[in-house]
Amino acid sequence: MMRLWARLRSYYASLSGRMTLLMAIGIAGASITSLLVAEHVRLKAVEELQYEQVVASSQDMANRFAKAPAETERLLRDHSLYGVRLALPNSVKVNANHKLVKIFEDSFEPSAHPLIRKVASDCFGGMFNPVNRVAGLGAAPEVECWDVRFVDQNGVPRNIMIDKPVLRFPRSATLEPIYLIILIIASALLSFFLARLTTVPLRRLTSAARSFSLSHDPEPIDETGPAEVRTALETFNVMQQRVRDGFRERTQMLAAIAHDLQTPMTRLRLRIERVQDTELRERLIADLAAMQVLVRDGLELARSSETREPWSTVDLNSLITSLVEDAYEMGSPVTLVKSCEVIARIKPDALSRCLNNLIENAVKYGSAAEVSCRISGKLVEIAIRDHGPGFPEGRIDEMMEPFVRGETSRSRETGGTGIGLAIVKSQASTFGAILQLSNHPEGGGLATLQFPFLRSE
Amino acid sequence: MNSPSISTGNILVVDDDADIRELIMEQLQREAYSVRTASSVQETREQLSIMPAHVVVLDLNLPDGDGLMLCRELRSEGFADAIIMVTARDSAIDRVLGLELGADDYLTKPFEPRELTARIRNLFRRMSVVDNNRPRNVRYAIFGPWRLDLLQRRLVTIDDRLVMLSSSEFRLLNRFIEAPKQVLSREMLLPERAATVAFDRSIDLQVSRLRQKLASEPEGDELIVTVRSEGYLFAADVAFE
Repeated sequence: MMRLWARLRSYYASLSGRMTLLMAIGIAGASITSLLVAEHVRLKAVEELQYEQVVASSQDMANRFAKAPAETERLLRDHSLYGVRLALPNSVKVNANHKLVKIFEDSFEPSAHPLIRKVASDCFGGMFNPVNRVAGLGAAPEVECWDVRFVDQNGVPRNIMIDKPVLRFPRSATLEPIYLIILIIASALLSFFLARLTTVPLRRLTSAARSFSLSHDPEPIDETGPAEVRTALETFNVMQQRVRDGFRERTQMLAAIAHDLQTPMTRLRLRIERVQDTELRERLIADLAAMQVLVRDGLELARSSETREPWSTVDLNSLITSLVEDAYEMGSPVTLVKSCEVIARIKPDALSRCLNNLIENAVKYGSAAEVSCRISGKLVEIAIRDHGPGFPEGRIDEMMEPFVRGETSRSRETGGTGIGLAIVKSQASTFGAILQLSNHPEGGGLATLQFPFLRSE
Repeated sequence: MNSPSISTGNILVVDDDADIRELIMEQLQREAYSVRTASSVQETREQLSIMPAHVVVLDLNLPDGDGLMLCRELRSEGFADAIIMVTARDSAIDRVLGLELGADDYLTKPFEPRELTARIRNLFRRMSVVDNNRPRNVRYAIFGPWRLDLLQRRLVTIDDRLVMLSSSEFRLLNRFIEAPKQVLSREMLLPERAATVAFDRSIDLQVSRLRQKLASEPEGDELIVTVRSEGYLFAADVAFE
């Protein structure tokens, strides 16, 4: 119950949720209102029909009186006319509906002094009990009576009574709860699908933006859909291209500087060989080597977001074991805790560089590296753990920015440039991997790379 | 330090930077090589037409052309001596491209002067060893269900799946494909540890790891055969491409 409530709340928090709710209320409200109006108009029409019948009867009588007064009087006295009687002198009369009065008066010449009033109480003056006299009907047909006065064409004033059964229409079924519920459900469904339809392009844009945030070089989104949506997608693609161009420019600048530094550094390195003082020469070589590392790492960082390496299908187990073995043979204290038999589509050189950098880091700051690999859901996760002091808590995200070191004084001693993790992050993004840094609950730093795989064996 | 017999080679240094040309020349002359220099594609061709060189140290950025193109042209014209590329470009692709286009070795600027001399010495040694089996500058060795990428040092299956090799596994496999269908003793497989290899079981461990990797393709598990008390035998024909 709570979960359903929470889901409803989160759905309401979304654009499509709000659109659904608003549109459902709007559509249902509008349809119910229009049904009510239609019902009202129908009742009005029935009422008018009734009035017209009263007026038609009065006219008929007026004609009869004009053509055959004696005959008409006799018929009235004998009660031989249906729905018309001589007026009852003692009945209580009230003003008739003004609409009826108007059409009634319009149907006579003004000289006839027409007057119509409604008989308020008993139409038949107690002579007729409808319940007893009408056979076969559960409910008696209701009768309305009008007291009509006019002066006929012969100048004789007349006073008659017109009876009309009330036209009772069954109450409209359109406002039955069942129909209302169907109506509300239908409008809710319509709104739901409409809201989904309109938010589809938004969701495409969102997923494109997300993949852009993960990789510098994502696919452009297909520019399909209605005109407004196409425009938005086109704009997004243009923006993506601009940002990429900006990156490329920055990369090229960095690469150009680092590249141009290489020639003078080569000269310098060759010239140092001429220095006779051995101690001085060694120091110069060490200084130059430090500069060289910086230039090399800078160049690598600049190039790391480039994706020139082709994608390949790679046996991850062989990659990890080879890396660990090579590192071990070079004298690094690296152990393979757990490998995994996984085939993945990646850029093998980029992944190797990432893992090598992480292993190097772990050895440099944590004195030893433990490599392990596991599958978690749709992703494969390669973890490199060390037993050093770990990453400074609270500055972990910062650690992946270029030129940020864990602890400045110590890293200087160890000779790091502070670009290593930035290179790893950037390299990883070229094949859709995500770098995460954390501290192991039992102490030591933990770096993980996560990326999708093809199949496991 | 160096035996004079190796150090009498004839080297051509090609670089657009006059200082670097001069400095490299100085460095190599100290090793008693005979060194000439060229600053452009045109000069290189002139120098080579005057007198061939055993080793060309070739920079990739030349004022009148690209060193990569020059390297390819020289090879297609039948230039058979060694070419070592020296360049400021540094990425795996450049390296592979350079080696694919016919370079014998590849060095990135700035380099250790000793590194350059060591590589050149190596090239001279390699050229003096007559290698009947393997044509120079090939990319792949093909055997059984596998292709071995000699430049990128990895195994490739028929459906282009990559199986990575450690350096020692690559060295071992490289040794096997140089002498297929021959029994190789442990000393021959691991000459750098020939003295201790008799007691050292690490070679067996390496072979078993390599076998495991080769066995991930059907028919790959029978490629390396153990010959009791003698060593190992690579039981497949090797073709190069």
